[in-house]
Amino acid sequence: MQIKRVLLLAAIVSLLVTLFDVQPAPASAAAPYEAYNYDFYGDAVPLPAPYLPEYAITGKSLGVGDFNQPSDMYVAKDGSVYILDKGNARVIVLDSSLKVKQVIADFDNNGKQDVLAGPEGLFVSEKNEIYVADTEHNRVVVLSNDGKLLKTIESPKSDILPKDFKFVPLKVTVDSADRVFVVSRGVFEGIMQFDEKSDFMGYVGTISVSPTLWDRLWRSLSTKAQKQQMELFIPTEFASVDIDSKGFVYATAIDINSNETIKRLNPSGQDVLKRFGYWPVKGDIRFRMFGTNSGPSKLIDIKVLDGGMYVALDSNRARLFTYNDEGDLLHVFGGRGNQLGVFNNPVAVEQIGDKLAVLDMGKNNIAVFKPTTFGSLVREATIEHYTGNDDKAVKLWEQVLRLNTNYEIAYLGIGKSLLMEKKNKEAMEYFKLGMSRKNYSVAYKRYRREVMKDNFGSFMTVLISLIAAFVAYRLARHAIRRRSVKREAGFY
Amino acid sequence: MKQDFIKFPLHLILHPFDGFWDMKYENRGKVKVSLAILVLLVLTLILQKQYAGFLVNFVDPRTLNSLDDLQFTVLPFFLFCIANWSITTLMEGEGKFKEIVMTTGYALLPMVLINLPLTFISRFMTQEETSFYWLINSVASIWFILLLFIGIMTVHQYTPAKAVLTLALTVVAMGFVVFLGTLAFSLGLQIYWFIYDVYREIIFRT
Repeated sequence: MQIKRVLLLAAIVSLLVTLFDVQPAPASAAAPYEAYNYDFYGDAVPLPAPYLPEYAITGKSLGVGDFNQPSDMYVAKDGSVYILDKGNARVIVLDSSLKVKQVIADFDNNGKQDVLAGPEGLFVSEKNEIYVADTEHNRVVVLSNDGKLLKTIESPKSDILPKDFKFVPLKVTVDSADRVFVVSRGVFEGIMQFDEKSDFMGYVGTISVSPTLWDRLWRSLSTKAQKQQMELFIPTEFASVDIDSKGFVYATAIDINSNETIKRLNPSGQDVLKRFGYWPVKGDIRFRMFGTNSGPSKLIDIKVLDGGMYVALDSNRARLFTYNDEGDLLHVFGGRGNQLGVFNNPVAVEQIGDKLAVLDMGKNNIAVFKPTTFGSLVREATIEHYTGNDDKAVKLWEQVLRLNTNYEIAYLGIGKSLLMEKKNKEAMEYFKLGMSRKNYSVAYKRYRREVMKDNFGSFMTVLISLIAAFVAYRLARHAIRRRSVKREAGFY
Repeated sequence: MKQDFIKFPLHLILHPFDGFWDMKYENRGKVKVSLAILVLLVLTLILQKQYAGFLVNFVDPRTLNSLDDLQFTVLPFFLFCIANWSITTLMEGEGKFKEIVMTTGYALLPMVLINLPLTFISRFMTQEETSFYWLINSVASIWFILLLFIGIMTVHQYTPAKAVLTLALTVVAMGFVVFLGTLAFSLGLQIYWFIYDVYREIIFRT
């Protein structure tokens, strides 16, 4: 009886213990993907996840009915989110707390009810006007924020356009002077640019095509019939555009042969993207050539973040590539799958505060990603470095290094600020760890000059006295020898 | 000792026509000197990969392997000697195998002499000065090729045109040797596994 009671008590206690025992959270289950970065040698190096999926927004959770192939979204400065629901031909406007503010399904066009048809692109200008690339109606629709039609940009007329030109807008971006940049299907000349009166101004960001020597040789050897079968050397289309606060247009092109699929266009249309990183700014640099998951990244959307950073969305492997303003790859994460945080067919990436939102056309939802400690440290450090607060940036980079000792960009960041403080020797050490030969050379040059300045005097003293000593030794030896010769000869 | 190991090789690389003549007809050369130079070359290559300045050293430290350096220097050396010997025997060359080994070994000396101090100096270079590093490095290689050419010419008593031809054929022959070697190796492996399989079969039967 006694034993039974003790046993019962023990059983109860053990049950309770297991009930209240704090289960350790599974460490790796939080991120359904592997984050990585490319090091100097081109190997993919694992990183702590910079962002973790937080929640997903669906049409149902918003109470407006399911999305049907949503194609684009935009987050305005005030935090309100605009979602372009292509299949349902509507624009859904959310306020900054992600509550539905408005659903624009139709609008009044000169007294007639008008709707969108298969719209692909959306942008909200600084004046809070909604620009929609109304693809199947071959126009860009400009709506006021409460859903009134302001104007439309119809098929442009211009001497440089062919007679049968078909205007099929896909993506649209507007700068602060109300100039409109439109990526249009079947247009290989560049991004179409319209002025504030909706007149066609011309193209920007023309992609130059240069066939390789091999291509040219092969072409010159082939017959006319073969030539007709061959691919033409035409430039590719742009896929997406975004604009930064300074008015530079960022564009991505899906071009498997190019190393410059991301472009940053200045107002006169030249590509001014800085490419100072170890590897080309084009998404994945190592990939399989054949089979599943093969081929270079197809960057279908780009978003400019703060601090000169930009994030590009790869639709091929559904990954997000974040770069800083110098073209260094900061981190890569994401992937395909069915869990929260991996994508089916991602089409657009946006920033909500310090979070990232990815619109998934296949899953009909928006996944929202929260930065982890690592991610936000990298983000803050990059912003501080960009704005010139180097001492703040160094502290942040040191914390980043505590989380990931292999993060070369952090070493570079610390090295650069040490160089500013004229701590050349320490800077050399950091540049070596960051594998930046160019910066190392600058630091080393300064260090060498410093050492030379300090030690030139003593170095020369030692050298001259050594030479003097050597000369004196030779003279003395000579004299002694001659004297002994003379002595042997009996002169003394 | 000093005469064999220092004075004569230095004289040879500066006066190649004279030097190779002496090596062949005055019995001045020694195979052991030649092999010593080869060993020194391997050493300098290892040191260069390990200690060359950061700005000129693009070797991934994870791939450093001294045994690799050894085999990728020593094997081509003998491959060249064997190939050259085979070709020149057919092409009326007068050189013996021993002489070919000596020639190739002595010709490598400039690489040793330049590589070692250059590795040291490269640690004190800035980016702009590294072009000198690459320049001097290529000077060493060109010097080596020139010496090899003159050496082959003298040892076999060839005209310059014939020497160029033989050297080109030697490269082709080296390819053949590698191909045949790989073939023999793979066939040997097949035979080995065949015998091994038969052995196992017998073991399991009993």
